[in-house]
Amino acid sequence: MKKLVNSLLAAGAIATAVSAGSAITAVKVNGNIDKVSYDSAVWKQAKMTTVTLYPQTTIEFNDKKANELNADAKAITAQIGAIYNGKQIAFIMKWADGTKNVTYANTTDTYADGFAIQFASDAKNPKELPYIGMGSDGRPVVIHLQKEVYGSYEPNGNGDVAHQVNPNQTHLFGKDLEAYNIHVRSLGSNDYEKTFVAEGFRSTTEIKDGSSKGYLRFGYANKGWSGTLSRPLKDAYVNLDAAAIPVAFAIWDGAKMNRNGLKYLTGWTAVKLEGKKGGNDLVEALHAPVKGDVAKGKEVAANNCSACHQLEKTDAPNLMGPSLTNIGGYASVDYLRESIVNPSAVVVPGYNRNAHSAYEWYTLDNGKRTSTMPEFSWLEQADMENLIAYLKTLKAEVK
Amino acid sequence: MSKRQLAMVMDLNKCIGCQTCTVACKTQWTNRNGREYMYWNNVETYPGTGYPKNWMELGGGFDAAGDLQAGVIPNLEADYGVPWDYNYDALQGGASFEPNVEPTWGPNWDEDEGAGMFPQDNYFFYLPRICNHCTNPGCLSACPRDAIFKREQDGVVLVDLDRCQGYRYCIAGCPYKKIYFNPKISKSEKCILCFPRVEQGLPPACAQQCVGRIRFVGFLDDEESQVYKLVHKYKVALGLRTDYGTQPNVYYVPPTESPVKFDADGKIIPDSGRLPIEELEKLFGPEVHGAIKTLKAEMKKRKETGESELMDILIAYQHSDMFRLDNNYYQQVARDNGHHPLAPVDTRYVAGKHTKTTHEIKFFHGGHGHAAAGGHH
Repeated sequence: MKKLVNSLLAAGAIATAVSAGSAITAVKVNGNIDKVSYDSAVWKQAKMTTVTLYPQTTIEFNDKKANELNADAKAITAQIGAIYNGKQIAFIMKWADGTKNVTYANTTDTYADGFAIQFASDAKNPKELPYIGMGSDGRPVVIHLQKEVYGSYEPNGNGDVAHQVNPNQTHLFGKDLEAYNIHVRSLGSNDYEKTFVAEGFRSTTEIKDGSSKGYLRFGYANKGWSGTLSRPLKDAYVNLDAAAIPVAFAIWDGAKMNRNGLKYLTGWTAVKLEGKKGGNDLVEALHAPVKGDVAKGKEVAANNCSACHQLEKTDAPNLMGPSLTNIGGYASVDYLRESIVNPSAVVVPGYNRNAHSAYEWYTLDNGKRTSTMPEFSWLEQADMENLIAYLKTLKAEVK
Repeated sequence: MSKRQLAMVMDLNKCIGCQTCTVACKTQWTNRNGREYMYWNNVETYPGTGYPKNWMELGGGFDAAGDLQAGVIPNLEADYGVPWDYNYDALQGGASFEPNVEPTWGPNWDEDEGAGMFPQDNYFFYLPRICNHCTNPGCLSACPRDAIFKREQDGVVLVDLDRCQGYRYCIAGCPYKKIYFNPKISKSEKCILCFPRVEQGLPPACAQQCVGRIRFVGFLDDEESQVYKLVHKYKVALGLRTDYGTQPNVYYVPPTESPVKFDADGKIIPDSGRLPIEELEKLFGPEVHGAIKTLKAEMKKRKETGESELMDILIAYQHSDMFRLDNNYYQQVARDNGHHPLAPVDTRYVAGKHTKTTHEIKFFHGGHGHAAAGGHH
């Protein structure tokens, strides 16, 4: 494990130098991989790539304690590998975490560690990928989520609520009561594993009908987590059978009261399926080094963006628009360009409109969101490139 | 905003702190399935720590500019109290009667303590609390999943358990801490104003069972309802901590009556009262002065002339007058929307936009072949 931590640190330093990160290679393997786990021997064939995950700071949530814990959040790194065969694709994520946070269905204010892997439904145009935070209107994503939550019951699932009453309110005693308790426990789930489809965070819908099948495993050892996902290359929602696919990874740290948007995430990361031709446009779009004059870009941002956006951590928070303090970590160059030129192409979910009613991020017309941000398509080409180069530098340091 | 608002008025002069409402709610909704620690309805002693502990200091609600304020999520053991039980089972074997956990805190831990010195000026009153079904709910505004909604037909605020993912921002956002995390299902739950009862023309269980008849239930726009008369006509029923900015829809007739104080020699101080007006002002705002004035004037009028509509209302002669639920109204709403008249769960989100087939919601299936809930029959 010491070796792993060292290599994580070393690779992290490289990642800050090449600010756009690097692509992951999915190695083609033989045999069945539809139910691999973190301890499966098949991972020996995988090529591990170090990926940086940045604290999601687009909006600040209203949990006082969590905000204190995350006020100074740094980026973290994970080692990610991928394998595929003709039918399935599998991922492994490994990251250091000094505390194992598990919830056992008996607390109100603790949170579990977890991870998620996100796929784009349509990645044909690498310049118009779904929004990184759970997709956007017309650009759906599928997310596989695993959290270390034990003993949870599904309220609307199998409908068996009659068997969950307080044992002391049954008429049972002795062996009958014991049997009852065992039966109740058997109705609970110790595997908090879910698949969602979303077109923007608020639309997130759990897929409960089995139409998307993921198999996730999660294990903690030597002060680190390993998580795996196996899933079909194709299902009703996504087709991953391509030369390169965009994938995003997220990690929740229970010790920092992480849940939902309060997490660490990567930008869209290209996963190249080894042996397939093409896909270079995606790799190029997501990982090409960024050109531009950062200092000049900062000036452009100060003149045009800072009235509504918090740019750097030292700037005052601004409720008028998404905070951009980590935008360089999880937004691609094309996403930034698109959002500057056409802000309504992707409207960030933002706050509940009732939470900060004086700050309208968008107007709603028949469910269609139009961003309040003016279009900056008039920017000079050079200013635009400099601005994007500057925005790409906005990200927390690696821990 | 909802089209109509169902509201409740509680007359604090008449609350005797018997907890019958608490028990009615608990046996109806919260004695099972991870809700054991929750009191959707609780009655706390004021002044006191309340339930959960020091809830008024835990944040949430809105500031004057309308911005949602950050809050704290209470801890099960320290702030709510672990619901303990006893070792009934072991008694068979001759064991002594013991709680199954060492109780360190619980609701009403400081019941009847109040403030002041006995016997000179000690005082307290009871403050029954349910979800305020606010017009501008902090919980709803805090939810990043749009899992909380306010019903069009009556303004009842509900959690859609299908949408809820247990993030608990709602708990931080509610200044009354009247929404709770159910750890067993990993979702948030709250008072539902007994809407399955209400839709059948029955008042919420807490109101029906109240032995002091302190609770009135009706629509705020129904000028015939006693709720309307108490809130709008006489203006003697006021929201709790309206400074939180959520526009609560449970209203309180402030306590006006209290015993006289004694001086150091144990003598009665004439015309004194034990309830400090500042405390009432803190809870119910500056309007409390007007409300108390009206109440006193109407009491006097009733004494002198035998007539007072307000006193007649507060005496609460008939349940049928206290509760105006207009059962046909709900039947009409259901027909207009093409719904099953009693749909326990809002069906907006049941069929996710992208899921291929609808999974059926089975909420109240007891294995007895009851009609399934849900609107698509």
